[in-house]
Formats: sequence, C-alpha cells, structure tokens
Amino acid sequence: MPDRKMFWRIIRRLLGANRGRVFVILLALGAGAAVTAALLNLQVDAKRRLTTEFRAFGANVVVAPKSTADSAPQARTLPETDYDKVPTILITMGGKSALLFSIGEIRSFGSTRPIPAVVVGAREEGWTSERFGLIQEVSDYVSRDEMNCFVGSKVAAQAGVHAGDRLFLREEESELTCHITAVEGPGSENDSNVVVSLPVAQRLTGLDGRISLIRVSFPGTPAQINNFIASLAQRLPDADVQGIRQFTQAEARIYNRISGLLSATVAIVLLLTGLSVMAAMTNVAMERKNDVGLMKAIGGATRRVLRLFLTEAALLGLVGGLIGAAAGILISMGLGKAVFGVAARPRLIVYPVTVALTIIVAIVSSYPLRRLANIRPASVFRGEA
Amino acid sequence: MFLRLIADSFGRRAQRKLLTGAALALGMTVATAALSVSLDVGDRLGREFRSLGANLVVTPQADSLPLEIAGIDYRPANAGAYLPEADVHKIKTIFWHNNIMGFAPVLEVPVEAWSQASKTWLTPAVAGQAMLIGTWAEHSVPLADGGQFVTGVEKTNPWWHVDGKWFAENSEECVVGALFAQKNGIKPGDELHVSAGNHAYWKTLKVMGVLSSGGSEDEAVIAPLEISQELAQKQGQYRQMYVSALTKPEDNFGRRNPEGMTPAELERWSCTPYVSSIAYQIKQVLPGADVRVIRRIAEGEGAILVRVRLLFWLVTAATLLAAALAIGASSAASVIERRTEIALMKALGAGSGTVGFLLAAEQLLLAVVGGGLGYALGILLARVVGERIFGAAPHPSLLVFASILGLAAIITLLGSAIPLRRAARYEPAPILRGE
Repeated sequence: MPDRKMFWRIIRRLLGANRGRVFVILLALGAGAAVTAALLNLQVDAKRRLTTEFRAFGANVVVAPKSTADSAPQARTLPETDYDKVPTILITMGGKSALLFSIGEIRSFGSTRPIPAVVVGAREEGWTSERFGLIQEVSDYVSRDEMNCFVGSKVAAQAGVHAGDRLFLREEESELTCHITAVEGPGSENDSNVVVSLPVAQRLTGLDGRISLIRVSFPGTPAQINNFIASLAQRLPDADVQGIRQFTQAEARIYNRISGLLSATVAIVLLLTGLSVMAAMTNVAMERKNDVGLMKAIGGATRRVLRLFLTEAALLGLVGGLIGAAAGILISMGLGKAVFGVAARPRLIVYPVTVALTIIVAIVSSYPLRRLANIRPASVFRGEA
Repeated sequence: MFLRLIADSFGRRAQRKLLTGAALALGMTVATAALSVSLDVGDRLGREFRSLGANLVVTPQADSLPLEIAGIDYRPANAGAYLPEADVHKIKTIFWHNNIMGFAPVLEVPVEAWSQASKTWLTPAVAGQAMLIGTWAEHSVPLADGGQFVTGVEKTNPWWHVDGKWFAENSEECVVGALFAQKNGIKPGDELHVSAGNHAYWKTLKVMGVLSSGGSEDEAVIAPLEISQELAQKQGQYRQMYVSALTKPEDNFGRRNPEGMTPAELERWSCTPYVSSIAYQIKQVLPGADVRVIRRIAEGEGAILVRVRLLFWLVTAATLLAAALAIGASSAASVIERRTEIALMKALGAGSGTVGFLLAAEQLLLAVVGGGLGYALGILLARVVGERIFGAAPHPSLLVFASILGLAAIITLLGSAIPLRRAARYEPAPILRGE
C-alpha cells in the first residue's frame, strides 16, 4: 500500500532529520527505563537477601522438651533422632545444631580445686550461633589422641587455662581430659561454658542419644518462619517448637521497615522519573508545531498527523526502553554485588514490563500534541501562537 | 539589555520554561526525598534494632563462674559476687549517656511459691519450685541535670509481653510467667506466697499480670528488685544488669583494644559510639563491674545496618543519576530548540561567549527556582515516607538543600553545555535560511 509506505517514510525522515533531538529523547527515556529496571529488579532481590542477612543473629527457632515439673537440666532431654528430623538448611543460609547442657566440674592440669561449670555438647551443621565470635587464643594444633574442646573467656580466666592446655572434666562418676583448641573472646554466648562434641558430652553425662535442645537458624520472611515452625511442630509432636521471640519479633519489625522503605522509594522514584521524563518529552513535542502546521496545510487529516507522531513516540519509547532496561538490569546486578556480595539475579519479567512502561510514558508525553490538532496552519507560519 | 533579554525570554516562552522548570523540580524532588531519607535511615534503623533489646551486660568482676543454662542460673543463692544498686544511676553520666536507651538490674532467687488458687483437692498445699526474678519495671533514675530517666525491663527485653499490668515499683506485686501460671492455675488478682532460704523469708505478692516471653522467664515469677533483695538477703545489690545502647556499627578501628592506642586514637575511639567504647566507659563509672558486649546482638546488628545503609545509598545514587539524566536531557532540548534565536543573535554581532553566557544565566535561574521548588516538595515527600514507615519525619538538613541547588545548577549547565558548544560553531546564514 503506497499510503503505508509513505507513512513509514515520513517517520524515517522525522527520526533522521534531527539527530541531536532524537538523541536527547532517547537519553531521557533510556535513563528512566534504566532506573525503573534497576530498582524493580533490585527490590525483589534485596528483600529476599535481607532475610538471609538475618542469619547474622544466629538461631531464630528453638526445639525444646515439653515443660515438666522436674527442673533439673539433665532431666529434660529430647531423643537425638529428633535432630535428624529437622530439615537440613543450606549452609550459606542458616543451619541447625543439637546441644546437650549439663553441669560438671572442671580442673586445670596444675590445680587441685575443681570448679563447677556448664559443659555443652554441640553438633552443628551450618551456622546457628553468632557468626562473628572473636577468638582470643588458638592452640597450634588439634589433638589426634585426645578430645578437643574450646572454652569461654570466663572459664579460661577462672580455671587459669590457655589454649593448648589440658582440662579435666568430671561429671558424676565419669571423667575425661580434653585439649583446649581455642579460647573464645568475651561477649560470646559460651563465655562461661566448656564446649565439647556431642558424643563426648553424652558419654560424660551418661545420656546416650539424648540432647537438651535443637537450635535452627531459618532464613525467610516472617510468614515463612511461622510456616516453618508450624510444620516442624507437626513433625516433632513430643517437643516444643518455638520462635526465639527476641529475634523473630525484631527481625519481622526490621524486615517490614526496610522493605516498606524500599517499596516506597521505588514507587516514588518510578512515578517521578516517569513525570520528569514526560516533562522533558513534552518540551520536545511542543517543538513539532511547525511540522504539524505544514502537514495540515498540505491537507493532512488531523488523525493521520497525530497517528504519525504517536508512532514516532512509541518507536522512540521502544528503542529507549530496550536499551535502558538492559542497562538497568546490569546496574542492579552490580548494585546487588556491591551490597550483598552476590549479584542480583536478573528477573526476565522486569524487562518487558520496563519496556512497556517506557513506551506508555513516551506516548503519554506526546499528549500535548493533541492540542496542536486545533491550531491553524496559517498562524503557525506567520510565527504567531 | 542583558536582563531584558532574559526577562523577555521567560515572558515570551513562559510555557516552555514552565515545562523545563517542572522537569527540574520533579527530578530534584526525587533527589531531595531520596537524600533526606538516606541520611536518616541509619539512625532510624539503629533505633529499630533496639527492639532486639540489650546489647551490653554488666556482671561483677570478682564473680564465680555462672552456671547458666537457657537463661537460668543454677548457682546457689550465696555463691558469686554482687554489685551495689546505688551505683547504677552513674551509667547515665558517661559521655554517650544519650545513647543509653534503657537498663535494668536483675537479681534472681530460687523460691518456693504457693497460691490459694493452686490448692485443689489433689494438691492441698504443695509448694512449687520457681525462680523469682527481681528487676525494674518502670523505675525512675535521677539524672545529673535534675531530670528523671524512666527505664526498666521493658526497654531491655522489648519482646516481653504482659497480659494485665506490670507491677508497680516499691510494691508487693508481681507478674508471673505464662507457663508458671498455667501449671499452677494462677490468674491476675490472685495472691502468691513466696519463700526463700528454707522458709526463712516470706512474702505475699499480688499477681498483676501474666508474662509471655517465649523463653525461660515463662516459668518464673517477676517481682520488684527490692522483693528479691529481701528474699535473698542481699539488700541494695544485684547480680546482672542489661543495658540497651544505640551504637555505631564497629569497623576495624572500633574493634581495636583501647589499651594499645595513642592518646589521640583513644580520644577518637571514645568519641565514637562503638558498642565497645560504650562498654569501656560504663566500666569506668561502675567500679568492680565487668561490662561485656553481647556479640550476637551487636555484631549481627552492625552487619545488617552496614548493608542496608549501603543499599539505600546506592538506590539514592541511582535516583540522582536518573534525575540528572532527565534534567540534562530537558535542558539540552531547550537549547536545541533555540537555534534560530542563537543564529539571529550571532548575525547581529554577538560573540559565542556572550550567547553562551546569556543562555547559561537563563538556565541557572531556572535551576535555582526549579531546585528550590523541588527541595520544598522533596522535603514534604520525605516527611510522608518517614512518618509512614518510621513514625518520625527526617529533619530537613541544610546540607541537602545546598547539595540539591548545586546539583541542579551543575546538571542544567552540563546539559546545556554540549548543544551550546555545537551552537558556537553554527554559521548563522544557513540556519536563518531555514536549512
């Protein structure tokens, strides 16, 4: 159809006529699209990453024996098989641990005076304790023929022991010695504990196959954590599964604040980026007065003239959006890497959404051309209006 | 003549100037809002993180080894050392006293508890074993400036929830843990008899509420500090104190040991609210006390704060970049469209310098007006966002105002510079002919 051919020819000429102006429009649209794509992509990713950042606090769920009348710590235990029923959590995201607490006596090699202390047997996969425990002293080697243990800074001070020393542990009738591989720095949760491996603690206390509690560090949004607790409670009907309220509650609060802030920022930025791109585009559209006047003067119907300019705007939006959105997704990957150390996963849905949004903005910004429909060609050429 | 040209340009092309100005103002609104929120977000989130409760714990230096399992100390009541309650108020005299958000001393006593309500046909007069935790609920601490600071366990353990009321200070009232209440059939309003030291000391407490903490406190009785001091015969003493302080995330410098520092370094270290420097200062005002950072809280908080801050700075940077590009594009467009005018001026004998100067002055005027308007709108926007999310608006800052105006000026000038440079090379004749 010659009509259509002419249409596209005019479009080509319009775009080719003033390279500088096309470049400016593309820059504005592309910048808007880049920010839109970057923020949309980052927003989804950052919220997910944030929940995994909470692993820094360690465990947020604890499984304990049901409350009984007996208050002695030894009397309250769970079977160790319960631990295996807890789903394994990806080591980089969290972890689970089984602990057995008991009160025993410790003595350094050179001393005769035993000191009562808490002995913790631990079996851990992933991270459930604090991630940044400072180590005060480390032994040069790990003993091959003796048990290894590590002690808190208060224990080391009270018993007068250092890393590399031997420590006697006694509980009821059983006794053993261990090699101190490390002394933890002050402020850790094991400040006043001696930590040994779980089988050693079980042998020491005579509680074979028993544990005091299970700790789980589960990454997720507040709702996901609640689901996890509910499903774990179903799997372990004889135990008491609870969120550690100090952390779950604070995590939920902080998560809601940060994700709210992120969403609000993204929404506002998108809205205003759209508006300022629109303002920039409108400025350009106004310039078309002469062209419209000329077309009308040589007999172009208003609708056809408008369609011409809207097509031009849509094309510019498409190109600007395609380039900008690609750049934006790359930017968001870089941002994700800078903040969380892991590049944000590009979400394919973001790309078409951004391109579509850009085209809409471009077309809507040409809206002022509508007013050009009722201008009179003669007054334009006279230089009025 | 110069001013007239500018005034004329604004008057003649009011609508276009309005549009360029609107683009500028909108861009700057985003920039202002993002900058203000980013500047504020660290402080606000620091406060939010206090919902984790205490990040410091004070214990006696000469203490025996605590036998603590799941939050309950199994030491006999007379073992270990204590700290004087009379010293506690000094904590609000340290350099960073404004950063101390709350503190509560604690003294635990194992007691036998018995209530009329738990008496049934099966259990006529059975006394239950429980831990009585003596602490502050809403205690007023006198300040050096004559004011009062109200603190208590609700500040250090904000996740505790009481159904009913907290006990009043200096009263014979108490709050019971949810599990304890359930096991013994106690409800608010009942009377609870507690005794310690083999029935040597008796107290009758009125139950005011039921505490649910999700921890070992659910099986305990919480009462005013004086009650536990009397029961344990440790008048005016406490065993542990939890402190909740607003801190700055620790960097490598913050983690250094203050003993190895030069005086200048020590001053810089103490004048930064690192959690360890606050601990150090508390230790200096509380003789005989050992102040420890609860690493799990402090380090986790620090790690997350650093990341979130970085995230918001980067989002702000992206926003600024977008605003800059949109504004730059709009000012470039406003120069391009005036080619004929520029050509005419040059044909009449104006040099490239004069033309550039004229256009730059126009753009700067727009930048100041648009930037100022954008700043005002942006502050409003930041207020709305701040109040919605944190319940408090960020303070308008002069720094933001100055940087917004500066930014607006630089961007518009940069945006117009490229087309202006090309305009300088224009030959007036072809343009005036319309080619």
